[in-house]
Amino acid sequence: MKKISFILNGEKRNVYVEPNDLLLDVLREKLGIKSPKYGCGRGDCGLCTILLSGKSVRTCLILAIEADGQEMLTVEGLSKDKLTPLQESFIRHNSFQCGFCAPGIIMTATEFLEKNPNPAEEEVKEAISGNLCRCTGYTPIIEAILDVKKK
Amino acid sequence: MAIAHEFDYFKPESIEGVIELLLKYKGKARLLAGGTDLVVRIKDGLEFPEAVIDIKGLTELGKLEFKNNRLFIGSLVTFNDLIDSKVVEEKFPLLWESSKTVASMGIRNRATIVGNICSAVPSLDSGPALLVYEANVVVKGSEGERIIPILDWFLGPRKTALNADEFVYGITISLPEKKNGGSYVKLGRYNGEDLAQVGLGILALEGNEYRLAFCAVGPLPGRAKKIETLLNGKSLTDSLIEEAKNLVPEEISPITDVRATKEYRLHVAKIMFERGIKAAVERLNGKGPSYGKKLI
Amino acid sequence: MEEYKYVGKPVDRLDEKEKVTGAAKYVDDIEFGPNLLYAEIVESPYAHALIKGIDASEAERVSGVVKIVTGKDFPYKFGLYMKDRYIFAQDRVRFVGEQVAAVIARDPKTALKAAKLVKVVYEPIPAVFDPIGALKEDAPVVHPDLGNYPHVPWFFPKGGTNVAHHTKVRKGNVEKGFKEADFVFEDTYRIPRYAHCCMETHIAVGLLDYSGRLTVWASSQSPYTQRNLFADALAPLGFSHKDIRVIAPYVGGGFGGKAGVTMEIIAAALATAVKGNSVKVMWRRDQEFYNTYMRQQVISKIKVGVKNDGTITAFEITNYWDAGPYVEYGANVVNASGLSATGPYRIPNVKIDSYCIYTNLPAAGPYRGFGYSEMLFSVESHMTRIAKAIGMDSVEFRRKNGIKEGDSVAYGAPMNPNGLLEAIDKVAKEIDWGKKETSNDPGKAIGKGFAIFWKAPAMPPNVSSTAFIKFNEDGSLNIIVSGMEIGQGYLTAMAQIAAEILTVPPEKIRVELPDTDRNPYHWQTVASHVTWANGNAVKRAALQIRDRIFEVVHEVYHYDKDTLYLEDEKVKCRLHNSFELLLKDFVIGGIQTENGTYRGGAIVGSGSFMPEFTSAVQDPETAQGGHPNVHYTVGAAAVKIEIDKQTGKVRILKAVEALDAGKAINPMNIKHQIYGGLLQGFATALYEDMRFDENGKILNPNFTDYKIPTSLDIPDEVVPIIVEVPQPDGPYGARGIGEHPMIPAAPIIANAVEDALGIRIKSMPITAEKIAMAILNGKKEVDEFLMIMKK
Repeated sequence: MKKISFILNGEKRNVYVEPNDLLLDVLREKLGIKSPKYGCGRGDCGLCTILLSGKSVRTCLILAIEADGQEMLTVEGLSKDKLTPLQESFIRHNSFQCGFCAPGIIMTATEFLEKNPNPAEEEVKEAISGNLCRCTGYTPIIEAILDVKKK
Repeated sequence: MAIAHEFDYFKPESIEGVIELLLKYKGKARLLAGGTDLVVRIKDGLEFPEAVIDIKGLTELGKLEFKNNRLFIGSLVTFNDLIDSKVVEEKFPLLWESSKTVASMGIRNRATIVGNICSAVPSLDSGPALLVYEANVVVKGSEGERIIPILDWFLGPRKTALNADEFVYGITISLPEKKNGGSYVKLGRYNGEDLAQVGLGILALEGNEYRLAFCAVGPLPGRAKKIETLLNGKSLTDSLIEEAKNLVPEEISPITDVRATKEYRLHVAKIMFERGIKAAVERLNGKGPSYGKKLI
Repeated sequence: MEEYKYVGKPVDRLDEKEKVTGAAKYVDDIEFGPNLLYAEIVESPYAHALIKGIDASEAERVSGVVKIVTGKDFPYKFGLYMKDRYIFAQDRVRFVGEQVAAVIARDPKTALKAAKLVKVVYEPIPAVFDPIGALKEDAPVVHPDLGNYPHVPWFFPKGGTNVAHHTKVRKGNVEKGFKEADFVFEDTYRIPRYAHCCMETHIAVGLLDYSGRLTVWASSQSPYTQRNLFADALAPLGFSHKDIRVIAPYVGGGFGGKAGVTMEIIAAALATAVKGNSVKVMWRRDQEFYNTYMRQQVISKIKVGVKNDGTITAFEITNYWDAGPYVEYGANVVNASGLSATGPYRIPNVKIDSYCIYTNLPAAGPYRGFGYSEMLFSVESHMTRIAKAIGMDSVEFRRKNGIKEGDSVAYGAPMNPNGLLEAIDKVAKEIDWGKKETSNDPGKAIGKGFAIFWKAPAMPPNVSSTAFIKFNEDGSLNIIVSGMEIGQGYLTAMAQIAAEILTVPPEKIRVELPDTDRNPYHWQTVASHVTWANGNAVKRAALQIRDRIFEVVHEVYHYDKDTLYLEDEKVKCRLHNSFELLLKDFVIGGIQTENGTYRGGAIVGSGSFMPEFTSAVQDPETAQGGHPNVHYTVGAAAVKIEIDKQTGKVRILKAVEALDAGKAINPMNIKHQIYGGLLQGFATALYEDMRFDENGKILNPNFTDYKIPTSLDIPDEVVPIIVEVPQPDGPYGARGIGEHPMIPAAPIIANAVEDALGIRIKSMPITAEKIAMAILNGKKEVDEFLMIMKK
């Protein structure tokens, strides 16, 4: 067991991990962070996405120990005080149906809008193309992301 | 889900530290950069290393630098780092275009081009570009440093010229002396992310020089020498393209699997060649579709 | 159309904020505490084999293992419409991946490790994968005891064979009908298996507490039906319904895959083996593919006769369904779609044979469309070909033969009011039907395809739905129901109905997710019937509350009840304009009278709804008599595509779909269903491609090789159209539409490909590869079927 520490949603945290513990599992089982979900375990679906040092990553493919000394941001961190303009836009557009893909898309879109605050529709589609959604057909999600720049 | 297999984890802080561990574990250790290939394989029970050596502690490996007409790509440089780099986009557009086709944002933020060539899957997207740019792989091991030309790097599916006591320090690509244009054409099953069912990288250089490399249609990615021989020195005409298309079946040996039949791969490979080479030449001449635009 | 304040409006989803903030809890998000145990399943590597022995001794010695169970511990059968399924395989396995044993351990890694050490000895026996081959005399029999299986009275299994059920519909006289025809056309279509690919995999946690009470938390569309099946299967252990509780929080997608019972029963059973500990069974993505329900494969032989003027005179179809080895739910897919296999047409002479056939591919069953998505590919491909052959416009052909209100369907019952013609006209107009378009690029071809479709909820004739409503001190409401929010917007629709009657705005209404201890009965969230059935129950509960409110006000103020009305959360009186009483002032505390005493008290309401005109007493030889379906929802759809003639790749330029929702309770959510359902359907048409090896093992149980749509794959333009021809017995005239958006997607693509290229592809999926190779090889018809890959 090794003790690792990192900043999680703005707070310094420590946890003990084995080398073969996955970051997704440690977030969900030991740190109480439930927003990243298990979808495929192979990085193909994007449900487990969080921001690690500002970049959207698949936590199902990262060993927890690799997060030592890093900074992580999840949907819980975005929702602490006021919601972000992106979250408000998703709510306004009623974008999500079953909601299981929402955290992954929210984190991906959060990184994307940071880098590209006034995107074209094609760019938005490409940015979230690694996040699978079975319910919505994506249209209301894309509209919500595009609507953030307008506000 | 969870990984049952147990292993030690190290994060050395020096090159020597990495090599020491490689020697200690005698081929039973695996290097970890982005992990997007290794972690899946450990989960699937296809890799069971005794130790995982995380090289992310060696910040010098994150170097992406263009100096003296040579691009150095350290082994921690991710595909998104390449895409975000202006110098790669402008000076090595074929590499830029290939990188954009890899997986998705969340994978590209972690997956490294060095990791891609070390995994050496036959469908690797970085293969064709590196082969036509004639890149070199900088390797460090217990015997010191050596340079392995990319043309000698791939030995078979998931097999490379790397020895058990060595690791890849980086990749160097010399800027082609002549003006050039390129294209990377990739066959997938739809618009979403996919592993290449056929991948073709083409570099057209001023003075009627052509370099082509395929991936996903043979046990290793490789240069299409017969087609190059046919085309070199000649300016591109429709009949020359037709003639070259007919050589495609001699250059590749696609298989049938769940992704595509060999007949379809063969058929589309010809189409990809035709569209790819036209686009490469157009781009050489400052015209043509912008890099990143899909040709099939 | 009457204007309502909430019904018919795009009211914001009640659950959106929870889902956007990460507050929404799904089963795996619930904390079960340090006593939670983890199960790992030992699965069969063979499609058909006898189990000779199981040795778990080495696995048992692994530290952290609590218990290992096998079929011997649970020799109990279960099944929704037929009991042909076991919790764990008994003497034999019937598909690759079937559960043979389970290791329960203190942590997941230990469970994984130990499961690998369980040794099972198998004796493989011949397997059968092809549904038509399974009908042959010498085919391996998947269920030798089929003749003894209990089943609902409207199923007809044939003991000694692989025929689990056979729906026969005979109306009029098809021989005569074909003789009357000027043109008869016959062909075969093949539709492979597909996977739901819900984003949340199946999961269930079971806990048998020390008092003997069993609780199961499940990602489920059917908590009450699950409780019923658990009680039935575990009756030998002494359980009955009140001893079992099923709780279903938010569900990350269902699409029919989380209906009935599949792996959830494993958690229920395992819980009984480790009393006092909760046990989690969570499917990995690969298990999600091969050990839940797949969508069934079907081979469809169809023959239609028409007159020169396009009138259909006879329709004959034989559907051979590969339902896998456990058809306890899938047999109803065969039955339901069999009854309606004509599609929404007026046809005097009909012969339908729909066979539910056992095979050794994984268990298959309900999937959005419930057999209609599968078989409509054949019907609507065929109808377009016929129209073309007699020189009649595809859309005109549908207009001419489209079923009208009062026409008799294949099994004799009358068709309900419906907007089919309106849907046809609106879709044809939107897609510019009749205008041939060509691409600017000579390497591309543009084509348009059209289809009509229908579906009725497929349910037993006596399904019930109920609701409780209660007030809170601030005048807000809780609606307590057991329908499930699987993403379709159900919670919001129920709130809108209650809001309309009680004038409490939806923002002040909560709709509670199912808990069989507290929430009253609802059969299952399937069949696109919940807005209709539960909406009626919620409406009745709200009306009961309104009645009670008027009762109390009358008692205290002596105003006539029929002069009272509700508005803006107040009670008002038509005869006394100054009178108004805020609901929140009395719905908990009652109304104070002149002498200081109170009347009323806390106000609650309940509603129950069950259709009283449905019956499943049809003649087994003809399906006539009886009234098995409550009503049909109809629609029309069209697509315009552009095909790259060299690569075969299809780009969807425009997709249009019209649905007759009766009354769109929430038009925004219906439009969202159309976006999602059409895309899901297009994926089955274009690139979802399930493959098996010759031994029945699925080759692509992952998203790397089973491709579902990404944001880059959506059509350039989607136009959803809502038609409203009221359903007389629906709440505000509503009927369901949840499954329907997907149903026409595949045939409109096939028809558009033919329009663009003159090539008819009769087998799904219609991949770029199939198109390109057909063009390359000059083929006009393609029926290549690659689902089982030969070496």
